[in-house]
Amino acid sequence: MTRRMALRAVVLAVFAFLLAPVIIVVIASFNGGPILSFPPEEFTLRWFEQIKPSFVDGLYVSLIVATSTALLSIAFGIPAVLALSRGNFPARDALNSILLSPLMVPALVTGVALYQFSLAFWDLTRISLGGTITGLIIGHLTFGIPFAARAMLAGHARFDYALEEAALNLGATPMQTFWRVTIPVLRPSIISGGIFAFVMSLDDVPIALFMGGGNATTLPVRIFTTIEFDFSGDVMAVAAVIVVASVVLMLLLDRLVGIEQLFGARH
Amino acid sequence: MASTAISEKSAWRSPPRRPDFWLWVLLPTALVLGVIFFAPIVDLILASLHEMAGPGQVSTSFTLANYRTFLTDPFYFGILLRTCWLGLLVVGCCLIVGYPVAYYLARTQSRWRGFLLFLTISPLLISAVVRNMGWFPLLDQAGLVNWLLLELGVVSSPLRLINNFTGVVIGLVHALLPFMILTLTTVIQRIDVDLEEAAASLGAGPWRVFWRVLLPLSLPGVVSGALIVFTMAISAYTTPAILGGNRVLVMATYIAQQFRTVLNYPAGGTAAAILLVFAAMLTILALRVRTAEAAGS
Repeated sequence: MTRRMALRAVVLAVFAFLLAPVIIVVIASFNGGPILSFPPEEFTLRWFEQIKPSFVDGLYVSLIVATSTALLSIAFGIPAVLALSRGNFPARDALNSILLSPLMVPALVTGVALYQFSLAFWDLTRISLGGTITGLIIGHLTFGIPFAARAMLAGHARFDYALEEAALNLGATPMQTFWRVTIPVLRPSIISGGIFAFVMSLDDVPIALFMGGGNATTLPVRIFTTIEFDFSGDVMAVAAVIVVASVVLMLLLDRLVGIEQLFGARH
Repeated sequence: MASTAISEKSAWRSPPRRPDFWLWVLLPTALVLGVIFFAPIVDLILASLHEMAGPGQVSTSFTLANYRTFLTDPFYFGILLRTCWLGLLVVGCCLIVGYPVAYYLARTQSRWRGFLLFLTISPLLISAVVRNMGWFPLLDQAGLVNWLLLELGVVSSPLRLINNFTGVVIGLVHALLPFMILTLTTVIQRIDVDLEEAAASLGAGPWRVFWRVLLPLSLPGVVSGALIVFTMAISAYTTPAILGGNRVLVMATYIAQQFRTVLNYPAGGTAAAILLVFAAMLTILALRVRTAEAAGS
């Protein structure tokens, strides 16, 4: 009996460890005293009032980039997934591995590679990709497409071809069959692939740090570059807002798709 | 016969599709990834074969000198060693902390199990930057942990727990623990409870049951969890950059420094190429272990 109690105590302590930094962000954001000191000295809402507009701009950039990344990842992912699942051509397995291989590369390496490539691209064409929204989306597609493809490949593995055969047999054209049967059957994995690309795009720092800049700075990069030099209360307030928004989104996601299934797309 | 009629009409699996049809379908995605991912990576590796010619400039002649310097100079090689040491420490901590939790999640009948799994995954869906910020009010000299330690009289002066190597280890263990717990839970779930009970009823104590039954049987999970966590720990940039306070030089922070402030692209590119090869090899190894494990069970 005591052994079971000991195990429970350890489990409780580990969950306290997992949740502590997230909870403390919210508590600290109401601290009127020095922002990092504990216990908090007095309750204040002043940090929330002092949130700089640049963080709101960053949020817009993040949402535009994440939405575009998710949609484009699905758009480029679906044909690739269909081809790799249904085609019977040489080197199919190799092409499959190549499609997923960007996930093996540390994001920072991809980030600096894209940064250097965008400089070379500018030298050649005088078209600037670094510091633009387009550059950020391109950067996030490097992991968005493979992540979405992986989720959809797993979904397609259970595909029942009889459904398509039935549609064709009943007189549907291949195009109708694709839009009315294939896509709806794959919808759950398309949605979880898209959500996954969206969440990873919102979270990314290394690629957005090197591809962004100026007006094309995402919210996490804005926070990252701010706390590199100075840890002020308003950044803590921004973080607290993100925590609350994330928890609300998470509960919604759990209701809609099931958070475990979503996570299963990662490995 | 009806079935032959169906297969004649099946457009997806039988001719009319020409054999190269699906290759053409694959082509746009392949081209996009080729241009936005593979070309930059090749370009980065090519840059590492040149010497630096002034800040942000690259010479035209090819050389392997960057690699020779990185792998022989104690300063640079030390960065590589420190990165591996960091990875090993994080893996060790994740195993020690994660195993009991995974065991509990695998064996419990509690109605809280689903909720606890949700809690395990949930930190992963909160921005890494925000999670890292949370360590400052906790680990700062004036923060919660030092306040507790001082109040309880464990220490007489505040410990330095952040803006150093310790902070990076704590942050990475926190970030990667969910992966370890989930990997281990899956494996432990597959071990028959009867084996543990048989060992216990034959007189083995809890430690003996762990060492002689549980650990050997869960070893495939331990190995694949360790490989995943190690690879992610040595690849991570955000956590070492924030919690190391610009003072902890591991591969990722060194690479970023070369590109952001020093502007020595060949040196940064060399370190990036080394990290890339290292991480990719470990990931392939982890996939092999996983496949072997799936084939064995």
